[in-house]
Amino acid sequence: MPVPILVTKLYAPPPSPKAVPRPRLIERLDKGLAAGHKLTLVSAPAGFGKTTLVSEWAAGCGRPAVWLSLDEADNDPARFLAYLIAALQTVATDVGAGASAALQSPQPPAVESILTVLLNEIAAMPDGFILVLDDYHLIDSKAIDHTLTFLLDHLPPPVHLVIATREDPSLPLARLRARGQLTELRAADLQFTPAEAAEFLNRVMGLALSDGDVAALETRTEGWIAGLQLAALSMQGRDDVAGFIEAFTGSHRFVLDYLVEEVLKQQPERIQIFLLRTSILARMCGPLCDAVLLDPSVPGQETLERIEHANLFLVPLDSERRWYRYHHLFGDLLRRRLGKPPELADYHLRACEWHEANGGLAEAFHHALAAGDFERAAGLAEAAWPEMERNFQTTVWLGWVEELPNAVVGSRPGLCVTLARAWTDAGEVDKSETWLQNAERALARETLTDKSKTLPATIALIRGDNAQNVGNLAETLRYTELALQLAPEEDMYLHAHAAITLGFTQWATGDLEASLRALYAWMEDMEEMGNREFAIASVFAMADMLVILGRLGEADKALRQAIRRAEAQGPEAEAVTAHHHLGLALLAHERGDDAAAARHFESAAELGRRTTLIDWHYRWNLAQARLRESEGAWDAALDLLDEAGQTYVKNPIPILRPIEAHKARVYLKQGRPDMAVAWTRSRGLAVSDEVTYPGEYEYLTLARVRLAEGNFAGVDELLERLLTAAEAQKRTGSVIEILLTRALVHQARNDLPQALAALERALAAAEPEGYVHILVGEGDAMRRLLLKFRSVIEKQTAHPLKGYAGKLLAAFPSPIETGSQTAITKQGDGLIEPLTNRELEILHLIAEGHSNAEIGRRLFLALSTVKGHNLRIFGKLQAQNRTEAVARARELGLL
Amino acid sequence: MKPTQAQPTSYEIRVAGHLPPHWADWFEGLTITLEEDGDTLLTGPVIDQAALHGLLKKVRDLGLSLVSVCPVEAEPPAAQL
Repeated sequence: MPVPILVTKLYAPPPSPKAVPRPRLIERLDKGLAAGHKLTLVSAPAGFGKTTLVSEWAAGCGRPAVWLSLDEADNDPARFLAYLIAALQTVATDVGAGASAALQSPQPPAVESILTVLLNEIAAMPDGFILVLDDYHLIDSKAIDHTLTFLLDHLPPPVHLVIATREDPSLPLARLRARGQLTELRAADLQFTPAEAAEFLNRVMGLALSDGDVAALETRTEGWIAGLQLAALSMQGRDDVAGFIEAFTGSHRFVLDYLVEEVLKQQPERIQIFLLRTSILARMCGPLCDAVLLDPSVPGQETLERIEHANLFLVPLDSERRWYRYHHLFGDLLRRRLGKPPELADYHLRACEWHEANGGLAEAFHHALAAGDFERAAGLAEAAWPEMERNFQTTVWLGWVEELPNAVVGSRPGLCVTLARAWTDAGEVDKSETWLQNAERALARETLTDKSKTLPATIALIRGDNAQNVGNLAETLRYTELALQLAPEEDMYLHAHAAITLGFTQWATGDLEASLRALYAWMEDMEEMGNREFAIASVFAMADMLVILGRLGEADKALRQAIRRAEAQGPEAEAVTAHHHLGLALLAHERGDDAAAARHFESAAELGRRTTLIDWHYRWNLAQARLRESEGAWDAALDLLDEAGQTYVKNPIPILRPIEAHKARVYLKQGRPDMAVAWTRSRGLAVSDEVTYPGEYEYLTLARVRLAEGNFAGVDELLERLLTAAEAQKRTGSVIEILLTRALVHQARNDLPQALAALERALAAAEPEGYVHILVGEGDAMRRLLLKFRSVIEKQTAHPLKGYAGKLLAAFPSPIETGSQTAITKQGDGLIEPLTNRELEILHLIAEGHSNAEIGRRLFLALSTVKGHNLRIFGKLQAQNRTEAVARARELGLL
Repeated sequence: MKPTQAQPTSYEIRVAGHLPPHWADWFEGLTITLEEDGDTLLTGPVIDQAALHGLLKKVRDLGLSLVSVCPVEAEPPAAQL
């Protein structure tokens, strides 16, 4: 789902043919760029020609320019990032697809992790470009300042950042200055020199002024360009130019006020009226002006073009000459002169109507508010919500509604409910509940209409979400079930939403069978509503549930079926099956079919590049971590687990294997039990704790830590409790793992009969579904136990597990192989800057003779990213090419 | 009498140049005084820091040159006998 983007914000104003050429400034900008400065700061008050200068330079600097005009709404970091990505996509269409997808989620990951992904993609772009952020003074948010500081600190070489602003941004400017990484143009640089003033007044504005007159004007305005432009406009067509200059330079009045009055006086009355009345519009086009003025003698489009031609501070917002705005300063002055005539509300209402009819709900809202029509504004806020929610403007929307009188909001149950939803999305559960209660009061006063009859169910649903937010599963279930009861029969959307919430909540309670039923119901609803892709996509969650239930064969079948259906549906549906291929890869890996696993990983990587599913990066990293772990590449596995944690996007699928617990298990395998013990302490886990299903993985990990410590007190009892719960809920996958842990614990306590008994039960449950890795992954202790088991059952002629035990034993790697892994991460001493793990990984693949494209497919990286890594590897190894890099790495003992 | 926390503080904002008095409502009701030295004083209650920064932004956006900003104590009420 693409983010709705206002394209006029990405429009770089074309260099104006009427602008005064400013070679001295262009030269300074060029020099800064050539010297490799990271940032150009153009900081000066309004009317100093910042935008004009930057756009002229950008057009001629020899690099493509990415332009973003900021406004107050960009104070929301998610929106800022969305626009930043959209702006970057004007020079590189494929940049930031993954980051955009992550931003779509209601609770996106930390801005820095999105930025990191984005910066890596930028680093790999072959050509340099400049990134212009115009009107940065409209940003009043620490979060954005932090984002930008982070961006600057990690700015890859292809990018040069340009900031145009009326006030210095909160960035580490002193540091950049000290390091010589900053080009700075300030008011003193930007003001017109006498020569530039003469050029402007005489050539551009067509006046024939003497040097003395130019000097007088230049002095009076202190080289302020807007002032000079207003002065020039006041003089055009005037007979007594000398008289004007004398009066102007002799006056003590505020320059601007004086000049705007003079400029307006020079215009015909209908143009004056046009300028004043249209000044209430933040941006304008011909038809909008017509709607506001209702005066055929000043046709909108024609008049706008005329005003632009007359150099009257009108800024075009697109290349079709459709949308314009007044120069901010001029607009402010016009609005002040317009004042508050009695007809002002009518102008606003007409502007409101036009915008509403043309889909501009945000602007319609502001005009309704300015007109004092709160009822209309409330209706518009209600209507604008869905789009604003998609457009990350929850905060902005909440700001709007705050401007409405409480009584107006409270009388509209629909708006109350939407407001509650917005507070829930913003994580403010108490405020949400307050507005739900207001909604109920408002509903009690009226009879349900067609429009309001879904509200009771929606209220219950939001309460369910609020309960989920604070981790109260019982309340979540209660309210979601209530929502299902209250939802009108025909409202598929509500039913589906309630069903899926219910399903995921039941999942978190471990009731996988109920959860599966709810998911099936949801998928049927989706099919019926024509959302086949949703139904196909959700099969991966179904497969996850089946795996927990130990039904690997069924999971495999469901995934394959979904992939076939997606292929029949077309490429868009196919892209959602990246998760499915990943699921098949993990299943094949579990069943010991490495070739099939590799194949599915490859398909998953390829589709993953196109997927928009928000948790793709997280799942991919987790799956890779499991693969590396099973290969014994512990450090790589730990890195990938960290990466998974950083790329996690909050979503309703419960986290059943917390990253830190998973890392603790890797530490144990790596022989670093102290790290694993530290984890149990930080989590405050004790074997005597009551454990619910979401804690199962952590407590099984605790049992393993105790096993490694040789501290067995209470461990078997803990495992018994976990086993009882898992068996009651038919979670065979959990049952097998618990039994295997128990077998290892008994083995460590030298209680062989108990160990073998537990192992036999585990094997009996695992055999029909063909589990391999769950045992083989346990390493040498399990191998020894299996060998014992086989020697015991060998005496029996036809033990049903004989063949299975043999197959498993054959799947263990020979003990010598596992020792060689740590050498990989040992760093060579001859390097100035060590290689990162990712770079080492790529280096290995290069040494194995893989092409860049192959490496990209294997590691799920864009080709350009691989090339970027290569350049850094070559740089660090001081090599010119792949062959040299490999030779040098061998010398250093890196390979 | 010291103004308590809850009371808005008055501020005196000095800008260079003469700003005509009809600009007063643009600056949310501040009193405009023209000084003989060519500066203009904008004086009046400012409810909090956010409002003060808002005013300073208006000064910035009009391209006015800011000379000084001073909190001033509210006039004490006339002593009652």
